[in-house]
Amino acid sequence: MKAPTSVEPMSQRMTVQFPYKRSTGEVTGRFLAGLKEQKKIWGRRIAGQGVVVPPNSYSEVDAKSGGEWVEVKDEGTITAVGIVAKPVADLHPSDASFAYVLVKLDGADTSLAHIVKDRLGELKVGARVKAVWAPDGERKGTIRDIACFQLVG
Amino acid sequence: MSKLRNVAIVGFAQAPIVADDPHRTAPEMLYPVVKQALKNANVERKDIDYQCAGSSDYIDGRAFSFSQVMEVMGAWPPVQDSHVEMDAIWAAHLVWVKMQAEECDTAIIAGFGKVSEGSPMHVLNLQLDPFYHASLGLDHVSTSALQASAYMAKAGVDDAGLAEVAARNRAAGAKNPDTQLRQAVSAAELQKTPFVTSPLREGYLPPIGETATCLVLAAEGKAEKMCDKPVWIHGVDHRIELQTIGARDLTSSASTKLAAKNAFAMAGVKGVNDAQVVELGSTTPVEELILRDALGLSSGLGGKADGPVVNPSGSPLCANPLMNTGLLRLAEGFRQLSGRAGERAVSGAKRAVVHASAGHCLQQNIVWVLGTERRWA
Amino acid sequence: MEPPKERVKFIQTDLVLPYHYYAGDYKALYLRALKDKKILGSKCSATGKVFVPPLMSSPDAHAPCEEIVELPDKGIVTTFCVVNVPVYGRDIELPYVVASVALDGADVSIYGLVQECKAEDVEMGTRVQAVWKPDGERQGDHTDIKYFKPTGEPKAPLESFIHRL
Repeated sequence: MKAPTSVEPMSQRMTVQFPYKRSTGEVTGRFLAGLKEQKKIWGRRIAGQGVVVPPNSYSEVDAKSGGEWVEVKDEGTITAVGIVAKPVADLHPSDASFAYVLVKLDGADTSLAHIVKDRLGELKVGARVKAVWAPDGERKGTIRDIACFQLVG
Repeated sequence: MSKLRNVAIVGFAQAPIVADDPHRTAPEMLYPVVKQALKNANVERKDIDYQCAGSSDYIDGRAFSFSQVMEVMGAWPPVQDSHVEMDAIWAAHLVWVKMQAEECDTAIIAGFGKVSEGSPMHVLNLQLDPFYHASLGLDHVSTSALQASAYMAKAGVDDAGLAEVAARNRAAGAKNPDTQLRQAVSAAELQKTPFVTSPLREGYLPPIGETATCLVLAAEGKAEKMCDKPVWIHGVDHRIELQTIGARDLTSSASTKLAAKNAFAMAGVKGVNDAQVVELGSTTPVEELILRDALGLSSGLGGKADGPVVNPSGSPLCANPLMNTGLLRLAEGFRQLSGRAGERAVSGAKRAVVHASAGHCLQQNIVWVLGTERRWA
Repeated sequence: MEPPKERVKFIQTDLVLPYHYYAGDYKALYLRALKDKKILGSKCSATGKVFVPPLMSSPDAHAPCEEIVELPDKGIVTTFCVVNVPVYGRDIELPYVVASVALDGADVSIYGLVQECKAEDVEMGTRVQAVWKPDGERQGDHTDIKYFKPTGEPKAPLESFIHRL
């Protein structure tokens, strides 16, 4: 018998799942606690980077540790926006069309990535947005404790 | 720059780039490609000192995925083997370093990835940090869209500008029998395609595709016997930027700029305009514009009339088989300089600049300078 | 002011990744043949070695294996182990034997249970035969062979299979 040619393809669908419980560390853990307990957004003033939000425990520029906590506003300016037309199941945080944004919060020198769900047609670089917080009791200590951002005014 | 070892590309082969090959597993796609690459370089497997592959476990949906291809690359008698969890062009860089260390004279570099078997959006989400970005569901198209919007706002480029870049690549792709999208499409038609993640339309993004690739490298002394026109590596460097996309300037590519500066210095060339061919690993029109700026190519959409030809292959916009996309850029440089580029050959090409990228929003970039003559006497 | 001293220690990030794996023609041919109680292998064009399940190329000679061959469902136990603890998802009376079985004519072994005998009766070289699921129940997958059972033939001498260990 010769090697197989034009065999009817055989395939199997499979969902691979990895349950990971990730340690946050000192800085990310306290930043997330600030979202959950205080409804406040904290950054770190890091040499060479300015006020970094969301913060790391080290400088991404020179890898030095350190920095001090600085509270920034939960309102800021969009620096980038992309509107997802058809969200992908088990990946995107919304079933309906939504936008990803980078937001430079007032008082921060870097931009925070998040989502906007309403008035998508009005979103543009330079537009002002404000955080919408998940209600008390529903904040779990993740970046999604900010439910989304919405346009100001 | 001190004298380095002359190393050349002496052979290449690839499987057809298709949306999905339901008849073959990744190693089965790669095996005939390795055999063909060896044949193209006029050698047997026993003549090869070293092998290195580039692939991704998450793309293949199995742990230690590299172990499945050792046999088809040649595993016996026990061979020297290595692997990078990156595009195979980084495997080529690792091999080049090995050759500089005189650990080997000949090597095969393979790329593989059964992209169709998984979900690239889910997989590339995992390239981001888990706390602040991956948990928002960000995927590579969305981060590219964020970059595109930031660049367009800063540079004043509009939707028509993106369509023009994409259309030029599609026209080039129509002349490349080895790419996936081989129909020229006008800018006006591309502008009618729906948004995937605005400002990026379906027509401004690569198709899903998969292939297997194999490149043969050899040092001076052996290279000349393996290829009628070896293509010599004159310079190479790669640089990486911050992972946090909101903490860096998405509208420029500092890492490409620095990698190019170092690669040009190694090659002893003034700049990109000393090349006749430039092949960029740009997966969106905006990435191409940012890379043009970083490399010092005239930033106008068409480029200068007397400047190098950019993306004769049609670029990754015509085919983006993950883990192979970068190596295919190096292959295009080889094909252009060794008289293997067919109808799309850039006439009189003696030097090429090749770029490839990894990570979200051009996070990591590698730049090569290739030439038809040996770099070091 | 500062964020709370009591930090959020962990986040749960459960990755859910969808895949659609292709068996490839060689494995598809092999699995479908099991439905017809046939075991297929492939023969190396350079060395003549027979691989089962069939491979496209030989791991040792780097040569194509383009010829598909049918193998008998009989062979010998090369190595084996005795399982004394229950394994999740496998409901078999303990202790039982899992063996590496070299089918007659094959140069590599496949794995299978050995049943219809006491664990202590299995030895290296024991001749075994496949016990198939009944007609109509075979699906074309590796469970179509339920297990192997001793044939009662004389044990094979070590020299006859040492190259296949």
